[in-house]
Amino acid sequence: MSNFRRSQNQSNPNKLNAILSTLIFILILNVTMQIWLLYVALNNALDNNKEILIPAFVASLILFIIGISLLYYLPTGNRNIRK
Amino acid sequence: MSKEDNLNKNWKKDFPIEKQQATNVSRRDFAKFLTLVSGGLMVGSGLVTAKAYLYPKEEVLGEHFVCNKDEVPLGGTRAFVIEGSTIPYILIHLETGEFKAYEQKCTHLSCSVFYKPGTGVIHCPCHEGSFDAKTGNVLAGPPPRALPKLDVFFKDDAVYVRAVQEEKIAKL
Repeated sequence: MSNFRRSQNQSNPNKLNAILSTLIFILILNVTMQIWLLYVALNNALDNNKEILIPAFVASLILFIIGISLLYYLPTGNRNIRK
Repeated sequence: MSKEDNLNKNWKKDFPIEKQQATNVSRRDFAKFLTLVSGGLMVGSGLVTAKAYLYPKEEVLGEHFVCNKDEVPLGGTRAFVIEGSTIPYILIHLETGEFKAYEQKCTHLSCSVFYKPGTGVIHCPCHEGSFDAKTGNVLAGPPPRALPKLDVFFKDDAVYVRAVQEEKIAKL
């Protein structure tokens, strides 16, 4: 039986594509920022500057939580009924 | 059954996932994998922080005798290790007459650095890194930080080193 969501998805199949691409784009952006944060934290730790370490970790944690919560919006794809 | 029919029927049976769904699945997995990487980086950042606070870098305690002044000629160097530690240091007798002591490990990838006599430059041969022999600051190349240094002082003719005093005052 058809429902509203399924017919919507069928008439606009590119919608999920756009959502997924955007999610991946944001996740890559997050990971890039985290790599930079880790690099800075490591450099400062080796230089004995400890002030920056906890803020860098908290920022990294926030980015990770953003990434995890974005997974909620991950589309499951159109389930076509196969005969 | 014609060849065409056979192809359509069996192809569907062998590959029951439609093309669009197949791409959806792999990109979903990619998104999840990115989140996993994100978590890994977060944990790594946490470990760096924990290591820095729980196991701080050992500081040089007390005063340590290195050698006598006349044992190191002008422009010469002497490698030494402080008792109870494995970190290699070099004592440099600069052409200006000053004595300086630095860790001998390049801050880039821990190669041994050496003083180039007459230039005022400490050089790392691995990746052509250069440090200022007067301050330990990076002059050129890939090293990200200045060379860690020790304070040099004298008792009569003997050369001694100790941890840099400014840092201690700042920490108190």
